[in-house]
Amino acid sequence: MIDAPFIEIEDLYFSRGDHEIFRGVNMTIPRGKVTAIMGPSGTGKTTLLKLIGGQLTPERGRILIDGEDVHRLSRKALFTLRKRMGMLFQSGALFSDLDVFENVAFPLRVHTDLPDTMVRDLVLLKLQAVGLRGARHLTPAELSGGMARRVALARAVALDPELILYDEPFVGQDPISMGVLVQLIKRLNQALQLTSVVVSHDIKETLSIADYLYLIADGQVVAHGTPQTLDTNQDPRVSQFIHGAPDGPVPFHYPAEAFYSDILGGAPMTKLG
Amino acid sequence: MEALGRAGIFLFQSAVGVPSREGWRLWLHQMHFVGVLSLAIVLVSGLFIGMVLALQGYTILVDFGAEQALGQMVALSLLRELAPVVAALLFAGRAGSALTAEIGLMKATEQLTSMEMIGVDPLRRVVAPRLWAGFVSLPILTVGFSVVGIWGGYLVGVEWLGVFEGSYWSNMQANVAFVSDIGNGMIKSVVFALVVTWIAVFQGYDLVPTSEGISRATTRTVVYSSLAVLGLDFVLTAIMFGGL
Repeated sequence: MIDAPFIEIEDLYFSRGDHEIFRGVNMTIPRGKVTAIMGPSGTGKTTLLKLIGGQLTPERGRILIDGEDVHRLSRKALFTLRKRMGMLFQSGALFSDLDVFENVAFPLRVHTDLPDTMVRDLVLLKLQAVGLRGARHLTPAELSGGMARRVALARAVALDPELILYDEPFVGQDPISMGVLVQLIKRLNQALQLTSVVVSHDIKETLSIADYLYLIADGQVVAHGTPQTLDTNQDPRVSQFIHGAPDGPVPFHYPAEAFYSDILGGAPMTKLG
Repeated sequence: MEALGRAGIFLFQSAVGVPSREGWRLWLHQMHFVGVLSLAIVLVSGLFIGMVLALQGYTILVDFGAEQALGQMVALSLLRELAPVVAALLFAGRAGSALTAEIGLMKATEQLTSMEMIGVDPLRRVVAPRLWAGFVSLPILTVGFSVVGIWGGYLVGVEWLGVFEGSYWSNMQANVAFVSDIGNGMIKSVVFALVVTWIAVFQGYDLVPTSEGISRATTRTVVYSSLAVLGLDFVLTAIMFGGL
């Protein structure tokens, strides 16, 4: 069912300090589909996107994008590869010294020799698609978090990339722009034949647009499949996440010593007086 | 040691290379930000330091009846020592700290990361124009510092204290050598420019991207640059004038 993968992740290991984030992750991300990577907060979903984008280097294993090993490319080849990718950051990460229009125009100006009039048309088209054509003269500081994310989306697709990486696209969106965004990701994917990777923990929205899902927890892929197969998956870790149970095999608490002994037996009591 | 290695690679990757047309535009923009906007503080300081030098120098020289040598004393102190050193210290405080904070904040808000993901190397786009603006502008600021300082010395020495104007200028002309005084002063200034800008930009690029990280890195820029300038000044003076 997975044909011609665009991204292949093989036996990926990564840690930060003593904290192991990935322990042997394997994934194949199909071309032209929306693949969602889900998992509880702190499982390293954003880290995974940074590994795919070549900003972090794994300790073991490799990541192939369209057959090229991301971490074996020269710096120059890596930057060339990145022209074929767009990434939507959680914060938007707009350039604060440029206004909305120039932010979206930035990739066009640095990577193409298009005349100004054409850059203008393209930028306005992209801004129209995210509903912010009227906001073109605002600076990033004047935008709300949700608007900034939409401008960032327009910027990410400015060069019509083949791959878009979405880092938590639904966080902090109001219901209307959330709906718009869900539609936008889906439409973009169909219209431009993109490969999309969506990292998210918003289950409902993600299930509605994803063609394929990977669920990661404890540094490993715990389940993968289409939204339908995951919905009926009996693995307690999967059903806990998909159905949103507060505690279960995936603990709510960060690892700590037992609550009572921590509270009662912690620091020695200081004498009063 | 490891940080020094990283800083070296960082300097090489960003400073070496042929700038594009866009690169020149960005450099000019930074020349304004780093150089032109530092002019006021550097020139005003130069004026006061020249005036103080003349005042102090006069009170000492007049005891020996040697106040005619005031021009030479003011000019040599400025050209050899005070202009390169004080301009570099002011530059570290005014422009260096701003560079660190600006690049640091760009890092903390993921602007550098997003630039990388757009396929633009931030070392070339963000760091290189700032480095070169610093390299070029500090020596120019140093020249300005000396010129204004010598004029300040003239104001106090000649206009106020009544030293003969002809001897102020002619003694200066006779005793200031182009290569050993002006040239060596400029070499110092170029070295300080490299070191201060390198420290400032690297501290910004390498910091821990939190508010505390930015504040620490900005402090480190000023402290490290000042110590490096004063330490290197001693070494360079020993080599240039100490007969080493």
